[in-house]
Amino acid sequence: MTQFRAVQFRTSQAPTGRVIRTIDLDTATGHDIARLVAGVDTADLVVMIVAAGSDAHAAAIIGEACSARRVMTHTIIVRASAVSDAALSRTLAQVRPWSLMVVVTNDDDYVDDILRSFR
Amino acid sequence: MLKKEQNDLLTQTGPGTPLGRLFRRYWIPALLAEELPEPDCPPVRVKLLSERLIAFRDTDGRLGLMDEFCAHRGVSLWFGRNEECGLRCPYHGWKFDVTGQCTDMPNEPEHTAFAKKVTLKSYPLVEQGGVLWTYLGPADSEPPRPAYEFATVPANQSYMSKRMQECNWLQAMEGGIDSSHVSFLHRGSLNTDPLFKGTRGNRYNLSDLSPVFEVVESAGGLYIGARRNAEHGHYYWRITQWVMPSYTMIPPRGGHPVHGHFWIPIDDENCWAWSFDYHPTRALTDGELAAMRAGLGIHAKVDANYRPLAHRDNDYLMDRVAQREGRTYSGITGIAMQDASLQESMGPIVDRTKETLVSTDSGIIVARQKLLRAVKALEESGTVPPGVDPVHQRVRSAAVVLPPDQPFKDAAREALVARPGVEPATV
Repeated sequence: MTQFRAVQFRTSQAPTGRVIRTIDLDTATGHDIARLVAGVDTADLVVMIVAAGSDAHAAAIIGEACSARRVMTHTIIVRASAVSDAALSRTLAQVRPWSLMVVVTNDDDYVDDILRSFR
Repeated sequence: MLKKEQNDLLTQTGPGTPLGRLFRRYWIPALLAEELPEPDCPPVRVKLLSERLIAFRDTDGRLGLMDEFCAHRGVSLWFGRNEECGLRCPYHGWKFDVTGQCTDMPNEPEHTAFAKKVTLKSYPLVEQGGVLWTYLGPADSEPPRPAYEFATVPANQSYMSKRMQECNWLQAMEGGIDSSHVSFLHRGSLNTDPLFKGTRGNRYNLSDLSPVFEVVESAGGLYIGARRNAEHGHYYWRITQWVMPSYTMIPPRGGHPVHGHFWIPIDDENCWAWSFDYHPTRALTDGELAAMRAGLGIHAKVDANYRPLAHRDNDYLMDRVAQREGRTYSGITGIAMQDASLQESMGPIVDRTKETLVSTDSGIIVARQKLLRAVKALEESGTVPPGVDPVHQRVRSAAVVLPPDQPFKDAAREALVARPGVEPATV
């Protein structure tokens, strides 16, 4: 299990002082999402992680809050090769309007690599 | 950021290094064909992946690439006499053929056969698409010849230049997949450079200065898509190709030629920036060729040794007036040297433990991780790395307008594959 799968919601502070909030949309509860939205003021970056083909409607709730507070949003879609183009397309359609950066990977491990790179 | 050991791994390509072994699984550009123009022409010194080599074309037109130094006393064979199907050391007359085999040892008695036991390390050198390519890896793993489209179209459809860049290959290559710098550093060139100007795509570029990026894994590397708003709720996509380890293709603009780069390590502190322009379906025009030779587009003016005329010793001919007046953003003229000047300013090997990456650097982040994974797979299980397969090389960059919900790699699937005689997808 990659580290990001070990928690559903995480706040971390990089050596630069940058605050990064990470949320796994596949496992996050309504409470997790509400907590993130409530604390988005203090974030510099919100990273949303979702499996290709999953329902990512929560991206709109989070994205709207980030947009209102001018917080950068970044979505990582994992396991893209495991689903059909149509399924990936549905997830993309949900996250694109609310993501200033989207990474589509086949491998969950890239999530930890990307998060580490932002330290 | 990277850990120090990761940065070391990704920036060291000499013999015996993990990334060096990875690079040695690919055909890489060694010389322009013009550098060895005819049989028995002067030999050329070549340094690649920290190996010092000598290249020559023998009396019969055969190409050779071998250890630069004579097996006898270590004299550089650059001083050699290229004559009668071999390169002869001027010190004591030892002569080597294109395979590195010593064929003559005139300072030894005539009846000895010792010369047959003396060879210099040599590598294959083949001509394709105006480029002399070499493969520095194990002979039993030699892959098929290069299949990049620029190197397979008729000669009159393609143009290649090279320039020395005085920094590590990775920081140069990372510039090639860093789409977000274009809106700053190269602004101004879209409307003035004859190899870019006058396209509909440029209008999208200039009317939406905040592109959104998507990075998607491909079989051979990555697609890096920059998305801007177009008409009727559609998106204008510019899709850059990165094929491992160091091939990048910039999305085309209108009917202009398609272009891109190879970033090839000379040693750990210098690299060759190879720059190509080609059109898949037509000959390049005289005007286009003149612009490329004049150092416009992605090319640069260079001296006889392929060092740019604007270089760090003359501050890249910095023009503060042009910078102040907005004619150039950095004060440096030309896209190639705008990039090179800043990348060289980072130092020979940038310390990636100190960088502060942001979301728009995701292409760079994922590319580094793909390289690290490929090195690990090669070292641990001998896995052939992505980008070796010719299918991975037969790709195109693209500029397309798509509906808003479509994954660009699927919606533009055909546009991203090189198909002989088919027009590029461009706006």
